[in-house]
Amino acid sequence: MVRSIFMSVILIFGTLAVVNPNQTFAFSGQVVERGAFGDDVIELQARLQYLGFYNGKIDGIFGYGTYWALRNFQEQYELDIDGIAGAKTKEQLVSVSEYHRDWVHEQIEKGNRFTHYGGVPLAEQTTGGAGSSESTDVQLPAKYTERDLQLMANAVYGEARGEPYEGQVAVAAVILNRLESPDFPNTISEIIFQPGAFTAVADGQIWLTPNERAREAVLDAMNGWDPTENALYYFNPETATSDWIWSRPQIKKIGEHIFCY
Amino acid sequence: MKSAIYLLSIAVLALGLYSFEVRQQNTQLEQTVQAQYTNALTNASEKLSTLQRSVSQSLLFQDQQALEAELDNIWRISNEFRSTISSLPLSREVANEWLRYVGNIGEEAKYASDNRDFEGWHDRMQVVNQNLQSLSDEWTVATSNFYQNDADLSQWTNVAEKETEQSPFKNVASNLKTYSETDFPLTASESDWLKKRDLQNLDDKEITKEQAIERLEILIPGIKDATYTVTKSKEDAPYPFYHIQFVKGSRIGYADITVKGGHILSFLSERPIQEQKGVSQQQVRDLTNEFLKRAGYNDVQIVEMRENHQAWHIALARVVGKDKAFVYPDGIQLKISKDSGELLGLNAMEYVQREEINEDQKVVPINWETFFRPGTHVEEEKLIYTENEAFQLRKCYEVIARFDSKQNETFRIVVDTENHDVLKVEYMP
Repeated sequence: MVRSIFMSVILIFGTLAVVNPNQTFAFSGQVVERGAFGDDVIELQARLQYLGFYNGKIDGIFGYGTYWALRNFQEQYELDIDGIAGAKTKEQLVSVSEYHRDWVHEQIEKGNRFTHYGGVPLAEQTTGGAGSSESTDVQLPAKYTERDLQLMANAVYGEARGEPYEGQVAVAAVILNRLESPDFPNTISEIIFQPGAFTAVADGQIWLTPNERAREAVLDAMNGWDPTENALYYFNPETATSDWIWSRPQIKKIGEHIFCY
Repeated sequence: MKSAIYLLSIAVLALGLYSFEVRQQNTQLEQTVQAQYTNALTNASEKLSTLQRSVSQSLLFQDQQALEAELDNIWRISNEFRSTISSLPLSREVANEWLRYVGNIGEEAKYASDNRDFEGWHDRMQVVNQNLQSLSDEWTVATSNFYQNDADLSQWTNVAEKETEQSPFKNVASNLKTYSETDFPLTASESDWLKKRDLQNLDDKEITKEQAIERLEILIPGIKDATYTVTKSKEDAPYPFYHIQFVKGSRIGYADITVKGGHILSFLSERPIQEQKGVSQQQVRDLTNEFLKRAGYNDVQIVEMRENHQAWHIALARVVGKDKAFVYPDGIQLKISKDSGELLGLNAMEYVQREEINEDQKVVPINWETFFRPGTHVEEEKLIYTENEAFQLRKCYEVIARFDSKQNETFRIVVDTENHDVLKVEYMP
């Protein structure tokens, strides 16, 4: 008898654990605050949206939209209002909201536009996928866009995929240096596609799909790294035929490229 | 035998058809590109004439309102001309000279309009007007061949490949260079760009390459005993520095350290990074502060932290004066791995070539309730130094403001503390 009661209790709790998603998927042990990125932030945004505090995109980036939503939640539930998802806040959030982790991640992977409001069937909260994810999956300095990153990663991969990492960051830095120089166009796109500016544009290698390393190199350049020490040009001394490029003041050599003003 | 001849004939015919089709496609593509270049050339020529007319017209007015309208026009057209000229396959030299010269005209117009320096504009533009007229005439001569009936893409290919000396734009290039030097000795943007080379003014004691490695290992103990390759910057570099490349286990990276004074300019290390997150945001903050202390960067504070797939990027700025204002142009950036909290990158070039601060700039209080529309909440306010459009370093209020709406849209607004000019408005996602 005792054994069957014990088994029933285990069965009930086990079932609840499966049915009630907010107990199955809870945050990691990390404190989550502005600037953070990843699965914990996705869960935070989804849960805040479930309760109606967050109305932005669920993208895993803890920006100001998430910050104000979290503060409003903390205020309503009489928690410390600091915009930081610590243990108490997360515990409270988990106890009053649901989180459909698999569904949310599936939408993100498919690049669907979706929301995660409570009380609305999930099927009604997604509006079909674009086929590929166009969501922002990196945090960039405010002056750059995801499109800039993509375009530059293509250029870096096409121009310098065989170069050391430093050389790839250097190519990205040259593009950004041109953006600041009065001698070049005013946008990243115009700089990259300026006729004759980059070999990869001329021979079509810019259209190769860049790898993660090229994207990381661009990200580092966008965050301020410039291994070229402010260069505006580079060339391969083995193949360069222009007298003009040889006349430029040279700064340093990285891999196969000489960087110059 | 008959069959072989039959098959061979079919193969030759198929090959002929294929090559005809490829040739036709190439011709079509060439014609499309040629049409686009001709269109851009026409646009550039028209914009050049319009710009020249506008500069000329601006010399007519003494009335400030009429002149301001013309100055705005000049600034807009100069930007459009720059954009069009950059889409033409001109040689690098010609394109750069055009972009600089016309950019200077636009910049002068903006400066005159913002600072109401109308007399200065009139003085400077007398000569520019004449030179622009002569450039416009030379441009017409240089480009006339591109409109002829037998024009084809090879003409453009030749321009792009030939040295400027042999191209039809030889005279244009040479005059542009001369006029740039005489008409605009050094504009604000050029001088701002040249500031990046200010490190040539360092007068600290020179260090050896062994001392440079030693310094690097003190700052970044994780790479101690790595295999180093040290080269010195090229002779033309405006300031000499050691370029240290290192390999240690799976880590490969570099560091640039000035010869004078041994200031570390930048350091970057690449290694495979584990997927799982091993350090919290607070630990990253603590590690950052530990490093700053060890490196002797005692006057900087964290401005922003951004987590990405592999690492945290941390932006810091120098803090100065009684009012603890952040000097954004004197920044340091750090890159810290998410798996172990290892320092993967340091960029301190801007910090080394620090800006001169005018701490005496007036700070006139602003009533934010009347400055912003109702429903806008000022959530954060601090003082910063940043550059205005004329590249002057100004003390400013930096405000984080939020619309009281469902979306909680947030903006970063930068306002000059003295004249209350709004220098920047950025949407903060």
